[in-house]
Amino acid sequence: MILINPIIRLVNRNLTISINPGFIIWQILFPLIYIFVAGFAYTALIDSVPFGGKNLDYPAFLASGMIGFNIMNSTLISGIIIWNDRRHGMFEQIMSGPFTRTHYILSNIVTIGIIGLFSAALITAVGYPVFFDSVEFNIVTIPLIIFGSVVGAILFGSIASIISVKLRSSEGFNVIINTVFLFCAFASTAFYPVQGAPQPLATIFYLNPLSYLVDIIRAGIFGQVTDFVIIEMLLLVALASILFVIATKLLTKLDF
Amino acid sequence: MLCIETKDLRKKYASTVAVDGVDLQIESGQVFGFLGPNGAGKSTVIKLLTTLISPSNGKISVLGIDSSKHPLEIRKKIGVVLQQPSYEPTLSAEKSLEKYGMMWNIDKKIRKKRTEELLSAFGLEEIRKKKMDDLSIGQRRRVQVAREFMHDMELLFLDEPTVGLDPAARRKLLDFLREQVKNSGLTIFYTTHVLSEAEYLCDNIAIINNGKIMAVDSPSELKNRFGHEKTIKIHISKVSEELKSKLSIIPECQIKLEPEPTVIINSTKSEIVLMNILKILNDTNTKINDLSAIPTNLEEIFLKVVGDSN
Ligand SMILES: Nc1ncnc2c1ncn2[C@@H]1O[C@H](COP(=O)(O)OP(=O)(O)O)[C@@H](O)[C@H]1O
Ligand SMILES: [Mg+2]
Repeated sequence: MILINPIIRLVNRNLTISINPGFIIWQILFPLIYIFVAGFAYTALIDSVPFGGKNLDYPAFLASGMIGFNIMNSTLISGIIIWNDRRHGMFEQIMSGPFTRTHYILSNIVTIGIIGLFSAALITAVGYPVFFDSVEFNIVTIPLIIFGSVVGAILFGSIASIISVKLRSSEGFNVIINTVFLFCAFASTAFYPVQGAPQPLATIFYLNPLSYLVDIIRAGIFGQVTDFVIIEMLLLVALASILFVIATKLLTKLDF
Repeated sequence: MLCIETKDLRKKYASTVAVDGVDLQIESGQVFGFLGPNGAGKSTVIKLLTTLISPSNGKISVLGIDSSKHPLEIRKKIGVVLQQPSYEPTLSAEKSLEKYGMMWNIDKKIRKKRTEELLSAFGLEEIRKKKMDDLSIGQRRRVQVAREFMHDMELLFLDEPTVGLDPAARRKLLDFLREQVKNSGLTIFYTTHVLSEAEYLCDNIAIINNGKIMAVDSPSELKNRFGHEKTIKIHISKVSEELKSKLSIIPECQIKLEPEPTVIINSTKSEIVLMNILKILNDTNTKINDLSAIPTNLEEIFLKVVGDSN
């Protein structure tokens, strides 16, 4: 309780300052438009994608990838919160109040976890008609989506935090964070199947944690938990832990 | 009980010693002024006392709590308005107060009530719905100070809170602070480089320069202590060699040639010194153009104390 209560209060603040119309449009409208417009437009080019023992049609493949993409995207919030707090003096203000750095870091992770889960649920719900045919809900579906949301939030949230701690100027921050996230998005299995990609690109796809995240979520939705997916889960946890430790160290060392 | 106590407090940065052996003993229930020129080390002391940074050397005890052992316990009992602005750009002034109260775990009803009281006390009613991003620097500063009164505290740190405020807002804030100390027994640690403010508001004042405390006392005691030392200026027509050599045996006086020849007396017994000098001036046939005594105020003391230490 002693640890939880201050975190909840910081999460409350984080959500209040982050959620605004612009953010909601970016988080919800963009993925939906993408699923419906691109999903169906590209069906002519990519007709089916093998996944596990199944063949998915492209809109179903894309909609499920979009969940992972959205989880990653929502973690931008954590970078933006830290960065704004430093720029507008709120980091110092919070650190001179009834909070510790651990409270601060954990509250950011919980915030993006909540936003990630919320947008994952939303895309799942509205994407449902699209991947309806291939869906194979089972006992691990929900746990896998939650696992992906939480571990993915920690992983990408830590990346965003590291960038926001390391960069002072606003141009630098925006350019770098968008470049990193855009690269992660397009060099991953979120939008395109790895099968059609040339070998070098396919290798990059699997050096990219977003691919693991997306595969895990797809495995949950389409009921195809293979050994490979289990390895991806382990890798995701390992990477998230390492990056989280680095982000925490950097935030702890941050001077005033 | 001592509210703040430090022993040989030091903070070194790579190339600067920002705080250089500060010993403080501050009693509760007063406004304690921390007065010094830019770069004196005021903000660094505040950051040390509020546990934002840790000292290179020395001990800090705030409200009887050792800052190296239980910094969070200290932070739960203090309020802090730092020198730099702090605000949530997307929130309105009103919402900023309300959310800040929430962060301090203040009950919703009390939060509402305090928000209204503070908006009125700080003259913020007209801008209550405006976003922090759209406010002027002075308006933002007022919200920042008001916000700190959303929660209960025993000790409040204010780092140059009036910078950017117009005279009316400045006076309103100082009166509000005085009222708070009187009514709730709050202790305020107040830094400023504006002397008139310190004189108006503070029960005791420490003068700091180059990271060292130069003097600590009440404003009137400071005046008494340093005020005995009066300054008398005698503007004269010319400075002859004879005059120079005769004056050189009186240590309390000095001669200045620019912008005009002047003899300056600086002494606790300036009247007696003056008699001697007038005699010398007469003996050397030096004509007196003008003679003035400078009244002692805090400004003079400040400049003198700071000047001496430089
Ligand atoms: N983070 C820092 N790194 C290096 N030097 C600093 C830092 N903070 C303050 N200083 C130096 O310490 C001295 C005291 O600064 P400060 O406490 O801000 O003075 P004041 O608040 O009285 O104007 C200055 O010379 C300043 O340049
Ligand atoms: Mg300062």
